[in-house]
Amino acid sequence: MTDLRLLQNFSGFRAFLVAPPAIAADTLGSTLNRIGVTMQTVDQAKWPGMCSTLNPDGNIIILDGDLNEAAGLPLSDIGRLPPAPVIGLLGVSAPSRLKALMRQGATSVLHKPVQGSAVFTALFIGINEFRRRRSFEALLNRQERRLRGRRAVIKAVVRLMREFQIDDDEAFERIRRESMASRMALEDICERLMAAPAEHDEAEPMLNRLAAGPV
Amino acid sequence: MRSKAFDIGFLFSCTGPYQLVSRAMLNGATLAAEQVNASALAVEVNPLVKNPDGNLGSYRGLASDMLQSGIKHVVGCYTSLSRKEVIPYFEKYDGLLWYPSHYEGFETSDNVIYTGATANQHLLPLIDYLLKNHGKRAFCIGSNYIWAWENNRILREEIVAQGGSVVGERYFAIGERDFARVIDAIMAARPDFIFLTLIGTSAYGFFRDFRAACLARGIDQAATMPIASCSLAEPELEEIGPQAVEGHLSSSVYFSSIDSPENRSFISAYEARFPDGPTVSADAEASYASVWLLALALAAAGEDGLAAVKAALGRQRFRAPQGEIRVDDLTWHSYLTPRIGRSNKHARFDLISEARQPAQPDPYLLRHAPRFEGALPPRLRVVS
Repeated sequence: MTDLRLLQNFSGFRAFLVAPPAIAADTLGSTLNRIGVTMQTVDQAKWPGMCSTLNPDGNIIILDGDLNEAAGLPLSDIGRLPPAPVIGLLGVSAPSRLKALMRQGATSVLHKPVQGSAVFTALFIGINEFRRRRSFEALLNRQERRLRGRRAVIKAVVRLMREFQIDDDEAFERIRRESMASRMALEDICERLMAAPAEHDEAEPMLNRLAAGPV
Repeated sequence: MRSKAFDIGFLFSCTGPYQLVSRAMLNGATLAAEQVNASALAVEVNPLVKNPDGNLGSYRGLASDMLQSGIKHVVGCYTSLSRKEVIPYFEKYDGLLWYPSHYEGFETSDNVIYTGATANQHLLPLIDYLLKNHGKRAFCIGSNYIWAWENNRILREEIVAQGGSVVGERYFAIGERDFARVIDAIMAARPDFIFLTLIGTSAYGFFRDFRAACLARGIDQAATMPIASCSLAEPELEEIGPQAVEGHLSSSVYFSSIDSPENRSFISAYEARFPDGPTVSADAEASYASVWLLALALAAAGEDGLAAVKAALGRQRFRAPQGEIRVDDLTWHSYLTPRIGRSNKHARFDLISEARQPAQPDPYLLRHAPRFEGALPPRLRVVS
């Protein structure tokens, strides 16, 4: 499970400022430097190519919400998460700008002109909220995979009932114990069981254990 | 050479719940200003002294008035609450607050010079000492504001990471004096030490009440449940009184018992100038050093504009009563020497631990704190 403890020390992080070249970023850069973060201003034209190289655990995207065009961040399928935490730079708090930042996955904002005292707060909330959403996304991914595996579970229970003359509760219990003993997801056990015929080498030891029932 | 004169501000609450410390701070700042003006330094400082009476609204009004009158540099504030209250005005009017008090860190304003100690210079050395010498079970009691909250958070993380625990944590309004229930709770918990972040009159009352409660139960409080603090200073020891003054631990970058020519000279000048006290303390020394550093930077810059003064400040070294100090031009916090003292019956501290050299300030604990907060308790569920 993804670690949900709060990240509190940003030393070694790298921030990419996606903003017009003329933006006044002195306060932002110097304050980030004091909290251990280096900042690099990125040319918007080169930005799409850089997105694939971002590290969600060591990079931060600081995105100017007043850019005419969206930064085109690739978002994940389920959680619509950007490749790294996004902190919006907000000049105008108009709905169009706020929506644009929300759609790019911003989890925190800094108002222009940036005040030094706001930067640590923006990073703390933005990065930790991103991590929380990433954790939920991972959980959803796991749940979706388990949901897809339900069919295999039903088939495996039916197979065990038929082969070992046991009821459904007992069949499920034997599969659950096998899952715990082998440290595999229950759905994966069932899929493996259903993928291999009874005489298959890989399934045989597992079937033998399942045939034995509780010790 | 003719001296160039600059108006500066002193903002200290010489009345109110923490007036004792603030009066010592004002004394330290005043002494330095007088020494600067009598020195060969090509600069003269004319302090305008204001007393906000411990009232946050007054801090705002007085800081704003001083800055609007053209003053660029103000030495003052004791609590973090008051500092945070005035910073927006220093940012608005492009002034510089010289903050001469120890504090909890996690701040670097371009409009503040921090000459007091931050957490890696007072709290972390104290935790290290307590864990090695007294045990791993802490009871935290503090005034209900950021100083206590943040220090207790850091202490909890450090102690838990080293296998210890915080067996109790209580907060009281600034000025609170009724500690009967928390003393009962401490007696029941029997911690290895008490970590105290109460300030002002609340702290003095707690020291007296807790010592009396231990005596009544036949407990040697100083030996079995010592009180440790990062803000306890000599004027406060005198205020606590003879019955409860001995045996408390304090972590600080300055104690009046430091044996050096600079400190002897400082104490002798301070006592001659302020025979009625309050006694010299860490915050008085930091206020004294702040004014000297400001004067040195003004003299080097030749003007009181922020950019010029800060550029000059980065090059200054000052032989303060605690030893050489300088200001880090990245964080605008100061290199200071961590020390731990134990209070004696004369209301002074005996030095029991001292760093070999000034410690680099680390206001965000980048070099000291783990990347993540302390481990969350495991969430167990029945699986079988």
